[in-house]
Amino acid sequence: MSTKGTHIPDWLQVPFAGITPAPSQTKGQDLFPTGNWRAIRPVYRDKMPPCNNACGTNEKIQGYLDLVKRGKYLDAYALIKEDMPFPSVTGRVCYHPCEQACNRGQYDEAISIRAVERFLGDLGQALPKDVVQPGPPNGKKVAVVGSGPAGHSAAYQLARLGYEVTILEKSAKAGGLNRGGIPDWVLPKEVLDREIERLQELGVTIKTNVEVGKDVTWDDLRTKYDACVLAVGLTEPNSVRAEGEDKDGVLYGLPFLREIGMGTSTVKLGPRVAVIGGGNTAIDCAREALRQGAEEVTMITVESGKHEMPAVPEDLHDMLEEGVELMHGLAMTAVLGNGKVDALQLHPARFTGAINASPIDVDRETAPAKVAVDNVIIAVGQHAAIKWLPDEFKTERGTIKIDRFGRLGDTMFFAAGDIVQAGTGRQLMVVNAVGDGKRVAFNLDKAVRGEPQYERMAGGDVITDLNRMNMTYFPHFPRVQQAMLEPSSRKRTQDEVILSFSEEQAQEEANRCFSCGTCNACDNCYLVCPEPCIVRLDRSNGLYKILVDYCKGCRVCIEECPTGCLEGVPELDFDTGVVRMDTAFAITPGLHGRQAAELKTVADRTKEI
Amino acid sequence: MATASMAKKTVRINGCVASAQAAKYSDVDVITAYPIRPYTATMMALAQMVANGELDAEYIVADSEHSQLSIAHGAASSGARVFTGSSGVGVHYAYELYSPISGSRMPVQMMIADRTLDPPGDFGSEHTDALATRDMGWLMGWSCDAQEAFDNHLIAYRIGEDPRVLLPQMVCQDGFFVSHITTDVALPDSGQVKEFLPPYKHPYPLDPRHPVSHGPQIMPEQGPPLQLERARAMEGAMTVIEEAHEEFARVFGRRYDPWIEEFMTDGADVVFFMQGGHAVTARHAIRHMRERGAKVGLVRLRTIRPYPTDRVMASLSRFKVVGVVETNMGLGSVSSGGSLYAEACAALYESDKRPLVLSFMAGMGGEAIVLKEFYWMTNKLLEAQKRGKIEKRTHWVGFEE
Repeated sequence: MSTKGTHIPDWLQVPFAGITPAPSQTKGQDLFPTGNWRAIRPVYRDKMPPCNNACGTNEKIQGYLDLVKRGKYLDAYALIKEDMPFPSVTGRVCYHPCEQACNRGQYDEAISIRAVERFLGDLGQALPKDVVQPGPPNGKKVAVVGSGPAGHSAAYQLARLGYEVTILEKSAKAGGLNRGGIPDWVLPKEVLDREIERLQELGVTIKTNVEVGKDVTWDDLRTKYDACVLAVGLTEPNSVRAEGEDKDGVLYGLPFLREIGMGTSTVKLGPRVAVIGGGNTAIDCAREALRQGAEEVTMITVESGKHEMPAVPEDLHDMLEEGVELMHGLAMTAVLGNGKVDALQLHPARFTGAINASPIDVDRETAPAKVAVDNVIIAVGQHAAIKWLPDEFKTERGTIKIDRFGRLGDTMFFAAGDIVQAGTGRQLMVVNAVGDGKRVAFNLDKAVRGEPQYERMAGGDVITDLNRMNMTYFPHFPRVQQAMLEPSSRKRTQDEVILSFSEEQAQEEANRCFSCGTCNACDNCYLVCPEPCIVRLDRSNGLYKILVDYCKGCRVCIEECPTGCLEGVPELDFDTGVVRMDTAFAITPGLHGRQAAELKTVADRTKEI
Repeated sequence: MATASMAKKTVRINGCVASAQAAKYSDVDVITAYPIRPYTATMMALAQMVANGELDAEYIVADSEHSQLSIAHGAASSGARVFTGSSGVGVHYAYELYSPISGSRMPVQMMIADRTLDPPGDFGSEHTDALATRDMGWLMGWSCDAQEAFDNHLIAYRIGEDPRVLLPQMVCQDGFFVSHITTDVALPDSGQVKEFLPPYKHPYPLDPRHPVSHGPQIMPEQGPPLQLERARAMEGAMTVIEEAHEEFARVFGRRYDPWIEEFMTDGADVVFFMQGGHAVTARHAIRHMRERGAKVGLVRLRTIRPYPTDRVMASLSRFKVVGVVETNMGLGSVSSGGSLYAEACAALYESDKRPLVLSFMAGMGGEAIVLKEFYWMTNKLLEAQKRGKIEKRTHWVGFEE
C-alpha cells in the first residue's frame, strides 16, 4: 500500500476532492489563491487633490464636494468646519485658489468650489445649533488678539481643542477685516454676525474696545494667560507720499471701508472719485464709491495694464461692468486744491522691478496730467501698528518675527495672519489668514503639551496630472454659473451682487468634481475586478479591500480607477499579506483547513436561508 | 424514480443488452449517449426502456463523446447516478474527462464494449481503447460473458459509490465476443438489487440550496494532497471491492473472486494470463490440452484497476511459465507487444520464485483467438518450460511457425 503511512499536514488539508465553499461576494473564490501570480499589487492610496492643496487652510474640498454629490449636506458642512470656521464668509469673499488649481480647469472649466462652499455655509447658518462642539476643557486660558480671519480661526480651533479662549478686539464690533475690509454687498453683516455668534456659542469670550498697548500690556497677556495668539492684522493705511495728502476729501481705502462696515462712516462723496491703487481693496473702494453716491469713479494704477493688477480677475471684471474707468501707468504725485481736493497731479510711473514688490520709478520729466476729482481714495496697502511689541519680535518689514511654527521665540506667544505673512510673498487673503490661524492654534496646543509642532498642516503627493486619472469616465460638462444682479441695478445698492446656488445647482456642480486622486467610493474597481477579489462592506463608505490571496495583479482596477487613487505597487515592495514571488509555492497557512471547516457548515448555513 | 418491480428470471440476451439491463436494475438517474459500434446496442436498449416507461431516467444524447462524458460529469456532480459508455475511438475522444471525473471523485459508470482503435476503421475487439486510460483513476475490469457483465455493473456501482471510494468505473467487455454473443443471463429480483445497491448520495453535490464550488483552480502545492487522496481512494477501494463481491455472493448467490479467476491451475506448470472474453475459448482449449496431458491452466485478471499486485504475484509464482495473452497494443513497450506483460512482470519482480513470462499478441484487430492458436501458444509455453528460458518476450500469433 503506497499510501500507507502518508500524512497530509493540517494546513494543506483539502476539502473533499477540491470541493470548496461557493465563491461569495465577500470572500472571493477561496480555493483559487492566485495571489502569487501577482507582480503588481493594487493599493488604494489617496493623494492630495490640487484644490485641497491650494486652499489656504487645506479644506477637504474633494471630500465635501463628494458628500454634496450624495446629498449629505450636513456631513459636508461638518467636514468643511474642520478647517474653516466660517464657510459662509469664505464662500462669498474667498479668492478661491482652489479653483485656479482645479484639474477640471485643464479639461473644461474649474469647479465652482466657492459657490458650493457658500451653499454649505448658508446651510450651516440656518441650523438652529451648530454641528461643532467645544473640546473637553483642559483648564488652559488663551488670549487671541484680533477677531479678524486669523484670530477668529485660531480662537475657533483652540476652543475645539478645549481651551478657554478670550478674544481681545480693538474695535467696537468683532470681525476685523471681515467686517472692516469687506463691503456689505459682498458679505452681508448678518452673515458675519451669525458666524461670530457661532464662535461665541463655542464658549469663546469676545472683549471689544480692548486695544493692546493701551488697554492691556504685553505683560498682562503674558501673565494672565497660558498662551496668546497675536492676530492683529495690518490696520494702518499706506501713504503714497504725495504732496497734499492731508487735504479734505482725501481718504484711505481701509479706513473708508472699515467705517462703512462698522456703521460709523460719515463720509459724503462728491460726484467724481479717483481711487489710487490696483489691488483688491482698491477695487472694493471703487465699487463702494459708486454705492456711496459717486457718479464717475476712476481707478489710477501704476500697473501698466489690467494684466498686472494684483486683483481677483472676476472682481475686476464686475467692477468694470459697473462703469469704473481705469487709468494705467500713473502715479499720484500731488493732491491739488485749496484745502480741499479738486484735482490730482499724475506722472507716468512704473515698477522698477517685480510688479507690486519693488520701488516705483516716477517719470517727473514728463509734464504731469491733471485730473479733476471731488474725492480721492488711496488704497495702496496697509501696515501694522505694533509699537507695544517688544523690539526683539519685530522684523525689519514692520511685522512680527516668528519661528517656522508661528511662535515668538520661546515664549508662549504665537502670531498668525497678515501680521506675519505680509512681505513673505504669501497673498494677504482671508483664507490664508484662516489657515495660518489654524496652524498656529494646533502648534500652540502642541507647545502646551510639549509635543513636536508642524511647519505645515498638510502635505503629500498632489495629483495635478490628468494622465494619472481615467478621463474616459468624465464627460465634458460646463460649469454652473452663479447668478448675479445686473450692474445697473446693483451699483447703487448694498444688495449682494452674487447670488447663492440652489440645492440643484450645488449638486450639479459637485457632480462635476473628478475627485482627483482620492477614492470616492464609485465602486468601479469593485465592478471591474474579473475575480471577485475586491470586497466592501457596503457601498459609499469607500472602504474597499483587496483580497491579496486572490488578486493576480491584472491591473484592470488600476487602469479603470477614474480618480487615480488606485496605484500599482511592485509586489516585491511588500513583505506582508502576500504570497511572495520568491516563495511562489508557499501559501497562506490555514487556508485549506479553514475551507474544510467552512464546508462542513454549508448545510447548517443553508437552513438559515 | 420508481422502476417497475422485476421478478427473477433468466433471459437470453447479449452483453450489450445485459449492460442495459444492469443500468435499469441499478435505477440510474441520467444516461448520456453517443453512438458508436459496438456499444451502441446498449444505448438502443436503454432508449427503449426509457421510452417504454420501464426506466425513469434522463436520457441525453450528446453531440460527441467529449460532451457525453462532460454531461455525465455534470450530472454526477449534481448527485445523480450516471450511466454512460463508449467503444474504440469514442472512448478516446472523451479522454480529457477521465482524470477530472475521477479527480472530482464522481462515481460515473461507463460501459465499454471494446473496439480496435483506428486506423483503419475496424469493428473488432481490442482492449487498447479502455486499457489506455487505465491510470486515470477509474476502477476497471473486464467481464468475459454477458452474465458477468451484468453482475459487474451492479458490483461496480456499489464499489464506486461507496463513500470510502467515490471513484468512476469502467466496466469493460469485449466487443462482439461478449457484446454481441447471446447467452442466458439470470436477471435478479429488483428487491435483491435494492438490498445490494443502496441509493447513491454524494456528500457535496451541486445544489443551489447548498452552494459549493467543484473543481476550482488550485495552487501547485495543493495538487499533491489531492493526488494523494485519489491514490488513497484507489487503494482503499481494495477492501471495499472484496466486501462488495462477498455481499454480492450473499445476495445473488453468484460468487466471483474479485481479482482473478483461476481455471484448472491445480498442478499446472504453465498458465495463460489474460482478461476478457477470450478466456471462454481458453477454457475449452485448456480442457482439451489437459486431456492430452499438458499441465496448462488459466489465470484471468478480473480487475486491473486497482491492480491486485500481491494476488497476481502469489498466483503466478506457483507456475513455471506464464503466457500473457495481450489483446491490446503496447507499441514499443517493455515486451514490444502489449501492455499486460509489464503488469504481470512487475507484480512478479519481488517474488522468490519467478516464472518465465512471455507474451502473445493474439486476438488483435478483433480476430477470434481460435482453439488451434491456444494449442500453438501452449506449445510455446511448454517449450520454454523445457528449455528453462524464453525464446523471445513477444510472439505474434498467426505470424510465426
